[in-house]
Amino acid sequence: MQRLLEFIKQIYVVFIFLILEGVALWCYATSTPYTEAKILSRTSAMGGAVSGMVTEVHHFFALPEKNRELTARVAHLEEVLASRIEDDGIDVDSLTRMMNVRTELVYRYYPARVVSVTTSKMRNYIVIDRGEDDGIAPNMGVITPDRALVGYIVSCSPRYSVVMPILNEKFRIGGCLVDNNYTGSVRWSGASTHHVDLLDLSTYADPEIGMAVEVRSERLPEGILIGHIDDYEYNATQTAYKARLHLAVDVSRLDNVIVVENSHYGEIEGLMESVD
Amino acid sequence: MYKYISYVWLMLLVLVAQIFLLDNISIHLWLRPMIFPLVVLLLPMEWRTLWVMLIALLTGVVMDLSLGGAGLYVASLLPVAMLRSTLMYLATNRVVEASDQTSLLSRLSLKQLMLYLTLAMLVHHALFFFLETLSLAHFLRLMATIIFSTLLSMVVAWPIVRLFVGKVLGR
Repeated sequence: MQRLLEFIKQIYVVFIFLILEGVALWCYATSTPYTEAKILSRTSAMGGAVSGMVTEVHHFFALPEKNRELTARVAHLEEVLASRIEDDGIDVDSLTRMMNVRTELVYRYYPARVVSVTTSKMRNYIVIDRGEDDGIAPNMGVITPDRALVGYIVSCSPRYSVVMPILNEKFRIGGCLVDNNYTGSVRWSGASTHHVDLLDLSTYADPEIGMAVEVRSERLPEGILIGHIDDYEYNATQTAYKARLHLAVDVSRLDNVIVVENSHYGEIEGLMESVD
Repeated sequence: MYKYISYVWLMLLVLVAQIFLLDNISIHLWLRPMIFPLVVLLLPMEWRTLWVMLIALLTGVVMDLSLGGAGLYVASLLPVAMLRSTLMYLATNRVVEASDQTSLLSRLSLKQLMLYLTLAMLVHHALFFFLETLSLAHFLRLMATIIFSTLLSMVVAWPIVRLFVGKVLGR
């Protein structure tokens, strides 16, 4: 209260000045139609400009919230799309349908925000703000809203999860050439944060520069982009190709991500273990 | 007491000269001498801004009622009253101290006094003519009116200033 009185004491002259000046200008402005029109047009323009600026600033600060809403919307639509594909059987091979083998996978999508990310180490990790309480579990895939591969979950706490991104020397995933379905193994050599290697690609694959490479994994649905071929060569023993991929994702600039759950993953994994 | 009565006389003299003489002289479209801001500018610098502002308000109201300004004179004079100390600092690099025993105006050299008054007149005239036209469509003409009128106002006002500062403030 004391400070408020001090403050008022300091500015009361300015306050009185503004009132008197305002009254004088108002009297002058309303004295003739000319001044009225002139001043009104100026104040309207000024008011419009100020209002526009305030709106711009408001929109700017609302962007993160809008981003989260959009990411949630994308996740929801992905889910709807996946369920429709399953219902319609669009992507199920007719032969396997005839053989009555149940191969459809059920995917669920969870939007999340990146809390922290490292890209300067050989073993980089990302922390996201969704955990066990949100239904997140290890081995779920992580993608960007525009369907580029980020990595997969390796550890969870009730509210947070750790993602092993593609920029980790321990990361492994299958990648396939979109044009001809030849597959290889994707690894990060640590040489660049924008490139990974696609190894063990068949000599029949006939890779080309610019060719897109997508994920081939039980963790993620089809159509998740890893990157595009920048360069390729035969491996040391000339038995396979080694391609250098330019990543579709910029890990250092990640903000919103989508966690993908394959509800049949446990079953597939159990099956694989029983075979081993 | 003598000093305060002198201020009243100055106010009356300047206002009468402005209303009955200067405002009836038509020299040129670009030349309009206005000396009434002197009433505010020559007040003791040590006075509180509130009192200076109230005198500016009174002067402006008299001018508006006499010349049909409808608030124009008040609106152009109040900012000058508010910015008086700042203009003094800009023109003379002197800061007004509330504890000063002798008037700051009487301690200024003639050059400093002229600089301060010219700057203040320029600010007043700029505000006045801009508010009067409310347009920048004829910017060069507006600038010429401001500058030439300020110079003419100073030429007319300077003898009064010399007389007042010499006789009343005892330079």
